[in-house]
Amino acid sequence: MAYTGKILRVNLSTGKSTTEPLNEEWAREYLGGKGLSIKYLYEELKPGLDPLSENNKLILMTGPLTGTIVPNTGKLSVAAKSPATGTILDCSIGGHFAPELKYAGYDAVIIEGKAKSPVYLYIEDDKVELRSAAELWGKGAHETEHIITETLGDFITMAIGQAGENLLPMACISSELYRQAGRGGIGAVMGSKNLKAVSVRGTGGIKVPDIRKFSAALNKIKREDTMSDDNIWAYTDGTPNIVDLSQDAGILPTRNFQDGTFEDYDKIHSEAVKGVLKAKKACFACPLGCGNYVEKGKTMVEGPEYETLALCGSNCGIGDLEAVIEFNRLCDDYGLDTISAGNTVAFAMEMTEKGIHDFGVRFGEAAMYLEMPGLIAKKEGVGAELSRGVSALADKYGGKEFAMAVKKLEIPGYEPRGSWSMGLAYGTADRGACHLRAWPAAEDAFGDIDPLTIDGKAKMVIDMQDDNSVKFSAIFCDFWALSTERMAEILSLALEREITAEELTVIGERVYNLARLFNEREGFDRKDDYLPERIYTEKLSTGFTKGKLLPREEYEKMLSEYYQLRGWDEKGLITEAKKKELDL
Amino acid sequence: MKALVFHAEKCIGCKLCHLACSAQNEGEFNPRLARLKITSRYSRDGLVVNGQTCDLCLKCVEECPVDAIVVKNERLSFLDELCNDCGICVEICPHQVIIKKEKGIGVCVQCRSCANWCPTEALTFEEVKN
Repeated sequence: MAYTGKILRVNLSTGKSTTEPLNEEWAREYLGGKGLSIKYLYEELKPGLDPLSENNKLILMTGPLTGTIVPNTGKLSVAAKSPATGTILDCSIGGHFAPELKYAGYDAVIIEGKAKSPVYLYIEDDKVELRSAAELWGKGAHETEHIITETLGDFITMAIGQAGENLLPMACISSELYRQAGRGGIGAVMGSKNLKAVSVRGTGGIKVPDIRKFSAALNKIKREDTMSDDNIWAYTDGTPNIVDLSQDAGILPTRNFQDGTFEDYDKIHSEAVKGVLKAKKACFACPLGCGNYVEKGKTMVEGPEYETLALCGSNCGIGDLEAVIEFNRLCDDYGLDTISAGNTVAFAMEMTEKGIHDFGVRFGEAAMYLEMPGLIAKKEGVGAELSRGVSALADKYGGKEFAMAVKKLEIPGYEPRGSWSMGLAYGTADRGACHLRAWPAAEDAFGDIDPLTIDGKAKMVIDMQDDNSVKFSAIFCDFWALSTERMAEILSLALEREITAEELTVIGERVYNLARLFNEREGFDRKDDYLPERIYTEKLSTGFTKGKLLPREEYEKMLSEYYQLRGWDEKGLITEAKKKELDL
Repeated sequence: MKALVFHAEKCIGCKLCHLACSAQNEGEFNPRLARLKITSRYSRDGLVVNGQTCDLCLKCVEECPVDAIVVKNERLSFLDELCNDCGICVEICPHQVIIKKEKGIGVCVQCRSCANWCPTEALTFEEVKN
């Protein structure tokens, strides 16, 4: 069957693991992945708990299609209450961990409590053990994975680096070296539990009704839809192709969002990355293989992805591709989210250059920039301060108007002054500033719709948030732009019951509202849905967006319209009628 | 005879070939039951791609003590009623692509599911010397 029907629950405090049936009612209402992990957290986490305490839970959730031949379904949802924001946090990690967990017999792992000393979680089918990580603690995520692979062999591992051990709000989880559950300090949740890694090997299989017919239908869909012109950019270029788009649209964050174009963009764009490309690398069951394995000079990485090129490249004034690749590799190894790390270093650069506080880093200077990942992850020297992220830095040293974060989560690589819809997407994203809940820049800044108007933007952002919510619950990767109808067709085949596109749209809306409800319970409302002052008041000075702002009154109007269309009140709280409608 | 040939430089490591093989021949999605072994993993020295496929060397045919593996219509064919589960074929296969099952074994029967699914033409069928 598409679900294994079994959840593994591991209590690190007692060292005991148990299995329990998957809650089938919740699986019908929330599918899996993002939705189902948020549902478990909403039901099981006590409001107001400290995300770094043993009361937080870490959920690794697969979906009904994980482990099957359905293209682009190799991702895993990793969820907890966020140490960075205090909101709900669900991350999506690629690679090969998710199917391995499913083959081991589990739809999900729920990790609770805190181990007395560093451990890693070993899962081999029914055999579940906590093994000592004493030798691994203090090591990078890469070395940790290498050692575990050398010890265990054919296992897939997710690990944290020093950043996770040191409980940084920008700590990520790495798998297969270069795939990350990146944002919101998910790695710090592992660190707070003394959990260095999770390694899994599964030997079971997954059955679907009439598997040969199913495979034939999916192969046709793969050829005609997944690998169509709409998506093949992932294979031919991967995300670096967005550098050119952003530069042209004037939304490439440059020198801590002081500008929207970068004079050296052509040193870090797609063609530049292709120049050092060694191989393409895919996640499990993905025919698009967006991963660019590159080598340059003495360094190598699978990447750099667009977000890294933007936040750690142009946003730090760095036009040296080799330096960006090395910064990327260091972040992956130390276990730092490149979006937050790049933003934080850029903020420190602006603070230094403006003479507000000297952090010893300046735009465009690669030497000190390359010291930062290590100093931050290990909380050494100036890194001890930078490790707290831009919002905490601004609280202490000033520069609040250009601390580029929403809900304390640093902003991804799309300048809202040149894509007003992106501003709304950041403001209303469930985990703080995020480009994956909705990516409306594709339609306005990169598409045919006027990027500098609020008309139609609220509806567009809502539709995208709901679409992605169901997509990440199913779980499909973002990079297959598949329709809800297609999703319904595939899920119906796999689950042996008729699922309609309309039903999926409701699930998407339900998931997004439940995430909001989680945040509402933690005290979040309209006051938290705003952008940094710079976006409202400082005009950009070059390129297509020269002289542009996103005026606050326009943002307010867009936000109010968004709430109204969502069925939320003027404070951004979900109305009772909406809760009832969505069965929340 | 034509056999499966793996082109490492084109492989993206998606495992769709393993899934297609196990679905077609074992009735489930289980990469470990595939009758080929393609791995793409990062070592300390960088990305390492390895591929093992049946190249019709026919060692299994030669060594099977009960003639349970034969060549039929230029393909391998497994006769489960003759198999005595000795496991010799699994051991001697130079590519380790014969899978041991609870009862009997599985060999590549050139169904071509893997190549049909491969998105990058990293698996092709080509004439081999025998």
